[in-house]
Amino acid sequence: MKTYWRSIEELANPKELRRVEVREEAKQKSMLMRGDNDLNAASRRDFLKTFGFGIAAASIIASCKRPIDKAIPYLVKPDEINPGTANYYASSYFDANEYGSIIVKVRDGRPIKIEGNTLSSISQGGTSARMQASVLNLYDDARLKGPLKAGAEITWEKADEEIMAQLASLKAENGKVVLLSSTIISPSTREIIKKFTENQPNTEWIQYDPVSASGILLANQKCFGSAFIPDYRFDKAKVVVSFGADFLGTWLSTVEYTKRYTAARQLQDGQKEMLRHYQFESGMTLSGSNADVRFPIKPSEEGAIVLALYNAIAAAKGGTVVSGVQSSVDVAELAKDLLENENHSIVISGSNDENIQLFVNGINQLLGNYGQTIGLDKPLLTKQGVDQNMDRLLSDLKAGSVKALLVWGANPVYDHPLGKEFAAAIPKSGLSVSFSERPDETTALCQYVLPETNFLESWNDLEPKSGIYSLSQPTIAPIFNARAPQESLLKWAGNDKKYHDFIKNFWNETQFPKQKEITDFREFWNTSLQNGVFETVQEPKLNYSAEGIAPAASQIKSAGSGIEVALYETVALGNGKYANNPWLQELPDPVAKISWDNFAAVPVAYAEENGLKNEDVININGIELPVFIQPGQAKDTISVALGYGREIAGKVGDQTGINLYPSVGTENGTRRYYLTSAKVEKVAGKTFELAISQTHYLMEGRPIARETSLDDYIKNPSSGNELKAEHESKAVTLYEEPVYNGHHWGLAIDLNSCTGCGNCAIACQAENNVQVIGKEQVRNRRIMHWIRIDRYYSENPENPKVSFQPVMCQHCGNAPCENVCPVAATPHSEEGLNQMAYNRCVGTKYCINNCPYRVRRFNWFQYVKNDKFDYASNSDLGRMVLNPDVTVRSRGVVEKCSMCVQRIQEKKQVAKLEGRAIAEGEIKTACSQSCPGNAIVFGDLENPESRISKLFKDKRNYHLLEELHTLPSVGYLTKVRNINA
Amino acid sequence: MSKSILLHYFSMRLKTFISLILLAFFISSGTSLKANSAEDESDEFTEDHSHADIQRGERFFKGFLPANREFESCISCHNIYKSDTLNWNPSAMDIAIKFAGKDFAEFQSAVMQPTGIKMEASHKDFKIEEEDLKKVKLYLDDLALVGPPSAGPTLNQIMLFILLGLLITFALLDLIFFHKIKYRAVSVLILIVSLGFQVKMVATAAIDLGRSQDYAPDQPIKFSHKVHAGDNKIDCKYCHHTAEFGKSAGIPATELCMNCHVLVREGTNSGKFEIAKVVDAYETKNPIEWTRIHNLPDHVFFSHAQHVGVGKIDCQQCHGPVEEMDIMRQHSDLSMGWCVNCHRDTEVNFMDNAYYDNYMKLHDQLKGGGIDTIRAVNIGANDCMRCHY
Repeated sequence: MKTYWRSIEELANPKELRRVEVREEAKQKSMLMRGDNDLNAASRRDFLKTFGFGIAAASIIASCKRPIDKAIPYLVKPDEINPGTANYYASSYFDANEYGSIIVKVRDGRPIKIEGNTLSSISQGGTSARMQASVLNLYDDARLKGPLKAGAEITWEKADEEIMAQLASLKAENGKVVLLSSTIISPSTREIIKKFTENQPNTEWIQYDPVSASGILLANQKCFGSAFIPDYRFDKAKVVVSFGADFLGTWLSTVEYTKRYTAARQLQDGQKEMLRHYQFESGMTLSGSNADVRFPIKPSEEGAIVLALYNAIAAAKGGTVVSGVQSSVDVAELAKDLLENENHSIVISGSNDENIQLFVNGINQLLGNYGQTIGLDKPLLTKQGVDQNMDRLLSDLKAGSVKALLVWGANPVYDHPLGKEFAAAIPKSGLSVSFSERPDETTALCQYVLPETNFLESWNDLEPKSGIYSLSQPTIAPIFNARAPQESLLKWAGNDKKYHDFIKNFWNETQFPKQKEITDFREFWNTSLQNGVFETVQEPKLNYSAEGIAPAASQIKSAGSGIEVALYETVALGNGKYANNPWLQELPDPVAKISWDNFAAVPVAYAEENGLKNEDVININGIELPVFIQPGQAKDTISVALGYGREIAGKVGDQTGINLYPSVGTENGTRRYYLTSAKVEKVAGKTFELAISQTHYLMEGRPIARETSLDDYIKNPSSGNELKAEHESKAVTLYEEPVYNGHHWGLAIDLNSCTGCGNCAIACQAENNVQVIGKEQVRNRRIMHWIRIDRYYSENPENPKVSFQPVMCQHCGNAPCENVCPVAATPHSEEGLNQMAYNRCVGTKYCINNCPYRVRRFNWFQYVKNDKFDYASNSDLGRMVLNPDVTVRSRGVVEKCSMCVQRIQEKKQVAKLEGRAIAEGEIKTACSQSCPGNAIVFGDLENPESRISKLFKDKRNYHLLEELHTLPSVGYLTKVRNINA
Repeated sequence: MSKSILLHYFSMRLKTFISLILLAFFISSGTSLKANSAEDESDEFTEDHSHADIQRGERFFKGFLPANREFESCISCHNIYKSDTLNWNPSAMDIAIKFAGKDFAEFQSAVMQPTGIKMEASHKDFKIEEEDLKKVKLYLDDLALVGPPSAGPTLNQIMLFILLGLLITFALLDLIFFHKIKYRAVSVLILIVSLGFQVKMVATAAIDLGRSQDYAPDQPIKFSHKVHAGDNKIDCKYCHHTAEFGKSAGIPATELCMNCHVLVREGTNSGKFEIAKVVDAYETKNPIEWTRIHNLPDHVFFSHAQHVGVGKIDCQQCHGPVEEMDIMRQHSDLSMGWCVNCHRDTEVNFMDNAYYDNYMKLHDQLKGGGIDTIRAVNIGANDCMRCHY
């Protein structure tokens, strides 16, 4: 049988690792938060604590007076608001180049949870971890509280007056104004910028993305005469080849791609065909770890391989073969597979080199993919920044020719390679204004800081893809004295309209005529607002031209020698804009399982040769970084994440990790996200502690993850899952089988659809008030996430196969935890749930020790209202995000997945009131609702017609540790790999 | 409203405890905190009037002045101290707050030219000197500033506890050292009885911890459920209209009060004063701050919809004879034992609600005659997950 391992140490010596782990865990369990010096000493504070507790306990009994609570009803109750009942509003999320159509849950006036909107053809009901966590940004103390001038408070009227006076004088002398923004996909905002430009003729608008898609945009400009990102239809593809594009993790529209990718790979309901995924990459990305075939390569090798693939396909299809550098990888097999799946393949590249993208386009054209799997009708608009514009802006700023700089949503001082030069140049413009929701490195240098409203507080309209529109609506009144930048621009252009009126008017004029079904604009507006989306159909009018190909061939260089450093965005933090979000900082990286820091991922062999261990420090071109040995890291490469090392982000993000943006290079005018010939040295004697959690909660190397290949699966659907039959045949028990009268709730998790993205962990955190505990406590194996995504490696450590497995409470029918609780705090319910009554728990932790799945979490500390855990829950504002339907656990109690019992209760209530049975899919847990891979299905196992009952009968279905006869209510479906036999 | 459990109120209770001890100390040593603060405040007014004027106003209000008065004293209708029964008339504090910012003429006209049936009847033969009334107004203004006099904490329990403690100490000392009491059994008896009584006190207090049966606090408006639900037979769900489908029964919005009180401006019992507060709240857009009576712990998730909407339980079953209550009080102790016991007895309307079609096995047993009724407990009503999550 296949051996699975979670870390290099486990592969080398599994027994020793388990011994170390057990020892570490025992140590952590006996340790409270103390300094290293006084581990055993009871301090004076301990005495005072005990003494204080005694006094307080005595005083309770002596003089317990209940506090007087006030109940303040509405003066005039809005019809749609009922205390204690949530309202849901359709809205849209667009931040840091990521788009999602969302549903916002509002409880008693506070938005507290974000779900995916199923009506959107883009996000299709899915979300990403960042979208889930974005609700916490609304309640961030670091947000700007009001307009500032040179750091001092100023009123909006005064700021408007002063800025308008300066703009007017600039207009008179034709001084140049630059509006620097991140990509703006709002049609009405574009209209407003147009109006502003009309009023202020010498205005240049530059869109800037820290990690840009310039390469694709420029290549498509050459091939199609239009700079756009095409619509990748992974659901229609049979073969996908990705050159360094982490399309499941960070590349462009990940939720959409994950939805489509998993749809083309899932084998439920008798589907026998499955997309095959090839990935060329340096570091181990989320896409690479899901790939069927993965080629670890150096970043500089990519061009030659793409060229070779192009030539191989061109030769077969009778196209022009171009001469160029030699490829280090034999692509004959790959070319064959692609040619067998003409019109049904997709080749993509994450490279920002226009020349490589030209060849990728060439390959797709030769394979006939355009119009089939790569749509030209709905280009993606979420990344429009072209790097050259920023270089021009910088030289203009330096020359002093920019008289006024308006910055909106961009932070070049932090995330531009020449950030330091920007910092020096920004003050040279006579007027600098920042519209920013929060202080950052760039706002610190701007004269005027005019706070932007959070997206949950504002109106907006978006066009993420051509012809696909969506609306944002405010779900709460602005918490601080902020204003939509659109309103500022309108005002400065001499228009006093509110942005809401402007959008409505704009939609009346432009979007309303695009449809014919609804004849009344008010009805159209209300329908669009309620749906959140309005989608139209467009005809593609683009023709491919191969002219650019021939000259590009000579531009592709051969691979360099020496060590190369690949720079990447992380799945959790993205480009670093969300650095102050503690949920995302604590979300372990899907592959490395490290939170709270970036690190240098080095190959296994390199570490052995140079005597490197995890947490050693190496020096890369003068930057010191902690080492993490990453299986699958390509030879002679090191990967380091961007988006860390913020200087001005807030209490959570400041000085967390190291900023690598200054190392981003430039080639042919576009950013290049890797370094060649890096100088790497070990820093002797220095170590840096990382919050590595890859070996935490080990299940003793038992066959937890199961997998098979597609060929074997077609021959025998139970392949890879033979153990289940064996375990069932040997099942003997002393316990009575549990009987369920009405419901038996369960979860089915398709490991073939789970990409390991981490959305469920954050969704669960938001829904269930799971607390952030900080780096030190994560190191101490105390992470509170109710759902952890285990990552297993197998086979060759230089290029391992990867399996992901979300593990939450298994809600066992014969639960080992239930029998050992001395106070009956965790009994079994009539509906199959393993219940946890926090107020009964006295914290013996017997249940934790007896749980074979390691899913119970102990509150070692008071994580709420505690200055030692200074994250979201340590401020009144931060606690606004808490779900009032879930108890906030205090110190000393055990908690775990409740299968979102509050949601079960809520929907049961609705069904009972309406006098009907619960409909299939009506109840969704937080993890299943917004899963971008549709990997998690919740349902009633007592209902034989339910989806989950069918999945439990699937031949691939198995349970964790069946041999223990715990009868879990959570089932897993074997992972199937589509590997060439 | 964040939910936090366990030792959350410790520091607050500690303060209460310490302040109680301090208060006891002040009372016993003859000084009053209240007097101190009153003196401090009065210093600011010495230009216009003396402290003696306020005192004279107070004495007039309480009926000590003038000596030969022929009409009722103010205090006979207008409470200064909190009372256990509902006094329909506005309390001294109510009046004080209402007229705090207004001039004397307005106050005078309100007292001397009564409007409304009730006031006309009681303020009928008032012959009050303007000078006296001015002093009453001064007194009331002072009252609005200082707040109502404290009736003093009930220290009986603590005193009794300490007394018992002293008895025990005495008995022990006698048993071990002094041997003054002839029969040792007497000392032992004192010891056992006192200790037993103390344990009982502690146990009762501990069981009642967090419970507040019969809690009937003062409300900012003398709203009588008896008048509304009893006399006028208004359906409970007219005001508490989310009880059937929401978790919370809801306290009606002021707007809803105005449905009737836009016309009904004078009550048989309360006259105009109380209803005016509702109208005033509505017109000045200041929501009424009721004092919450029923308050379950934060870790209990109770749903009115389940009980009223699905279970069709009468409001009175839990809330008691609300239609007879002038002062609203908590009827049941709302303890978990009380919930669980009811679930054990209550039959579920199993056949008429299609939701329960899921429960095939139970339906089969019902048809087969294995069981004759389904009670709430049979379908998991006493599972932890029903209320705690």
